[in-house]
Amino acid sequence: MKRNWSINRRTFLRGAAGAMMPLPFLNLMEASADTGVKNLAGETAPPLRFLSLFKPNGVHPPSWNINGGTENDFRMSPLMAPFSQHQDDLLILDNMGDFGFSSHMNSTRRFQGGHHGNTKQASMDQLIAGHIGGDTAHRSLELTTEGIFTGQVGCSYISYGPNGEPLPRESDPQLIFDRLFRSPLDIPSKRDEMTSLLDRVRDDAKSLMRKAGTEDKDTLDEYLSVVRQTEKRIEVMNRGANPSPIKFEDIERPPIATNLNEQVETMIDLIALAMWTDSTRCASYMLGNSNSRMVFDFLGITEQHHYLSHFFRNFSRENIDSLLKISLWHMEKFDYLLTRMKSYKDHNGSLLDHSVVLFGSGMGHSDNHTAQRVPTILAGQGGGMLKTGRYLRYSENQELGDLHLSLLQGFGVPMDSFANSTIPLPGLDGGSFNEFRERPFDSWINLSSGKITVQGRLVMSENLDEAKTFYMEVAGKEPLRVDVGFRDFHDFNLAYHVGTPIVLTGNREEKNGQLLMTKVSDLKSVFGKSKPGQKGG
Amino acid sequence: MLPNIRQFLYSICVVGFLPFASSAIDGTPESVSAFLDQYCIQCHGGEKVKGKVDFTTVSVETASTEHFDFWQLAAEMVDYEDMPPEDEKQPSTEERAAFQAWYDSNYVTVAASPGVFQPRRLSTPEYRNTMRSLFGFDLENKVAKAEQTAIEPSLILKLMPTDPPGESGFINDTHAAPLSTVIWDQYAYFSEVALQQLFSPHRHQQLSLMLGEELPNGFEHSDFTQEHARRLLQHFAPIAYRRPFDKKALNKILTPLKPLSGVKLVNALKFEMKTILMSPGFLYRGMRMGKTPGEQQPVDRYELAERLSYFLWEDMPDEELRQCAADGSLNDLEILSAQIERMLASPKAISLADSFATQWLALDEIDDAYNDPYLLDSYKNQPLDFLNYLFTENRPVMELIDSDVTFASHVTASVYPKDKNKLEKYIKPKGIEKQVAPNQKLLLEHTEGRGGLLTMPAVLAMNRGPILRGTWTLRKILGEHLGEPPADVPPIQSTMGGKKLSFREKFEHHRADASCARCHDKIDPIGFAFEGYNDKGAFLLASDNSPLPKGMQSKEKPPENIDASGRLTTGESFQDFEELKDLFLSVRREDIVRNAVEQTLSYALCRKLESHDGPTVKIITTTLLESDGTWQDLFTGVANSLPFRETIFSNDSDS
Repeated sequence: MKRNWSINRRTFLRGAAGAMMPLPFLNLMEASADTGVKNLAGETAPPLRFLSLFKPNGVHPPSWNINGGTENDFRMSPLMAPFSQHQDDLLILDNMGDFGFSSHMNSTRRFQGGHHGNTKQASMDQLIAGHIGGDTAHRSLELTTEGIFTGQVGCSYISYGPNGEPLPRESDPQLIFDRLFRSPLDIPSKRDEMTSLLDRVRDDAKSLMRKAGTEDKDTLDEYLSVVRQTEKRIEVMNRGANPSPIKFEDIERPPIATNLNEQVETMIDLIALAMWTDSTRCASYMLGNSNSRMVFDFLGITEQHHYLSHFFRNFSRENIDSLLKISLWHMEKFDYLLTRMKSYKDHNGSLLDHSVVLFGSGMGHSDNHTAQRVPTILAGQGGGMLKTGRYLRYSENQELGDLHLSLLQGFGVPMDSFANSTIPLPGLDGGSFNEFRERPFDSWINLSSGKITVQGRLVMSENLDEAKTFYMEVAGKEPLRVDVGFRDFHDFNLAYHVGTPIVLTGNREEKNGQLLMTKVSDLKSVFGKSKPGQKGG
Repeated sequence: MLPNIRQFLYSICVVGFLPFASSAIDGTPESVSAFLDQYCIQCHGGEKVKGKVDFTTVSVETASTEHFDFWQLAAEMVDYEDMPPEDEKQPSTEERAAFQAWYDSNYVTVAASPGVFQPRRLSTPEYRNTMRSLFGFDLENKVAKAEQTAIEPSLILKLMPTDPPGESGFINDTHAAPLSTVIWDQYAYFSEVALQQLFSPHRHQQLSLMLGEELPNGFEHSDFTQEHARRLLQHFAPIAYRRPFDKKALNKILTPLKPLSGVKLVNALKFEMKTILMSPGFLYRGMRMGKTPGEQQPVDRYELAERLSYFLWEDMPDEELRQCAADGSLNDLEILSAQIERMLASPKAISLADSFATQWLALDEIDDAYNDPYLLDSYKNQPLDFLNYLFTENRPVMELIDSDVTFASHVTASVYPKDKNKLEKYIKPKGIEKQVAPNQKLLLEHTEGRGGLLTMPAVLAMNRGPILRGTWTLRKILGEHLGEPPADVPPIQSTMGGKKLSFREKFEHHRADASCARCHDKIDPIGFAFEGYNDKGAFLLASDNSPLPKGMQSKEKPPENIDASGRLTTGESFQDFEELKDLFLSVRREDIVRNAVEQTLSYALCRKLESHDGPTVKIITTTLLESDGTWQDLFTGVANSLPFRETIFSNDSDS
């Protein structure tokens, strides 16, 4: 594929954390028409890209979930505020997940593997990369922020190779920059420099050779043979080198990141740049391992993320504030990515228009590890693959594998099943889907001595001061407050039933004149199964 | 090419010397061959080669220094009466003694010699440290550090291929790890990255230090002058080469830079510095040393400083050591000793535990013994901190085996139930789920079954089972050359007359086979002495039955009657590991000290020891034994030894 970019101006874009990162003035640049691939009609279309952004440790559901609203008329949740400006480019999916609970390891596998049990197959990003990579210099990028969690290796990977094996990932933006744009012998000026260097060190080695004994000579011979081999490589490259379509020398190396925020924003800059220069068409990026224990000291937080994410058992107002600060930071990075991608013009649109971005977490409730209502958002039109600006709340739990299968097919990968899934997720392109509709149910409260039984919808408090408190909504009455300990929260899987009608029985208490339930003794789901963990649950 | 035995025997037959009436060895090659023919060749020659030992591949010519290892093993076997096997024809006591005498005269009572000089490439950790010392900063790999994740913060360690250990078993023995284009590209990359950083505003301070003047804030490349260039190279080149860089050579580099200024000058400087970083003088050790071919001679003073520095620090000489090299004062034993003391007190001496001891004792195998990184860190740091303490705080060599000092944190405290209260209390910070806290020094006064390296939990856990524990102790601690197990090992019986055999019984039967017994008679008693410790290293014989420490419960049920008793091949009996330890401290003390000396010398010289190193080992060992010497004495002895201070350059420089 012939490419014909030229960059003739240099200026500064805002780089990581306000630092000025010298880059070509890309906003004004427009890739020429022949950068794309021909579509069936013989018209040139820009290449499609896929990238994913993984958020560790689930969410605090009341802050994340959209409750109410319809496909085209909805209000984004508090946690979505940082990227709400991109609403038109988003396809927010709700009711994605399996039918049970998720370990951290499962959540990483589920995110791009369709199902947590799918451990012998490549992840969807890799399957897409294999199909759309074409003759790009890098088939795909697997990126992360954090080291490997050796105790549970699975927590550290979202991208898996052909046999389901975890693929090595890279965390250092400078290393990625160098891999993309500084491959030493790819750059003519670097080749010239190396040639002069080889001349000089050869002279040096030869002058040592004159004074050398046998052993020195053997060593110097070995050294000189490497010098010669390197010269040969350069000759070959000089002869065969096509003039690079874009002068990578003009792109300046980003400075060293001094904190996590800079590290991540620089990496996102690079992802967008790599896509725009068509160095790669596929990237996956983990904002942290799925059980990340990072300490966000630059946000003034001293507790580990994983500890905070278990916000029920480790409840305090400060802890929940810290957890939400971390989650909001994740959301800001998603916003940063989308903004960056929109800033690159690509044919008659932006880079984002010709991409599909998958953002999500692999698990829902971060303390109870539910595998339902798993945060999942798609961004970008994917060249028409997706109809964005909508909120799709499915009537039933949809396995992530269904979503992955439809994306695989959208990218043209010839597959009719992926993981457990054989039916692509409907509705992404604007087609019809089964929308969530609440079935009518009765609600009532029954009081007996010391006990209380109530039928109604279970909800989590939206008041952060009482983030571990639940309420039972009963028509025509004040919601009944449910204050339970960790044991009940855990044993009755309260978080799993949130948003659905249940019959709850427990101890009755009165505090400051307010009726409340303290100890749960029984839970029955009105429509589903009371013991979650299986289909129909 | 030396004639091999088969040819030799053949030639003897032809001229009709055979048969000898008696095979007494009189020191001639013929008599040695006859001895071998009578007792060894049947199983170890030509068509039948047991245990990969083949006498037809080595020479019996006198004064041959080749095949030192081979003959060392053979002499040990004959001397300990391990060979020939019991059911074969046995040499008389005189014949054995004569063979030993022949071996001694050829391989033991040889004159000490420093060995022929070999230049060698810096190992990866040496290169990492050298770059750090030269530039004043580390090349880092950007990765968020979170508790329990494995990260490699060094860009160099991350990107370089793993160094294979050389014949010595140490990775600083890089003679067998040639330069390749892959490594070349990495060196070029590291140089580029380091120089880019050095000239960035971020590294203002380091550049100021190199230039010898505090650069003003906002100093730009365009402010670079000829004077800066001169001072920078004057500073950089001699440190990088670890020896003076003469004025003429400096001027040769500087002259072409004369017309340049500002950014162009900086780019030219970067190129010059990169050239130095890619040159053999930087990448190899000993390349630029002054050499007179054909003579045994002291190494020059810069080489001596460099040897000392890479030995104790795995790093280039620092300013003080460079000064000592410049004024030649390291030749003064008092100054040398003072420098060693200073260097051992420096944090850089941690390399002795992290590299030298870790490679010697194969401590990286601990990594495979723990799944939980939190437990791994806590338990692995124990032997490392302990060894660092022995090495750097002037502790006696034999404290390796027995010491009342250990290092523990809140995680490992429960290993020492009766002493742990002396540890400062660990208070977990709020919101931190797990944390590896630094070790504290702990005096063992009441704890049973601990003290010394061999009973540290991590060391026991990396060697599971009596056979691995016995083999490791023999090889790594006592320095025995066990050779390889024979390929034709009979299967180990697991039942006897319908009765299931215990592990110990299985190996008792196994030892009944003569070819197995040769090693297992030695391995098994020592290995079974550790029966009082489970596979995680917990002590099972505590007198008060205290509960097993955190993370050390074994899946395997401990045997009902733990039998840790045994008898060494040399005759001494013991009831348990404590009694075996007493034997180590008495009758095996010499072996242990000698092995420590051999390992240290081999690491310091970055090569396998040869027969001509024997006298050096002997002198240092004897001194240490007589004075209950310390590790510092040992390091000083090595640094003052003939092979460390002298070398031979081969003569054929014109060939």
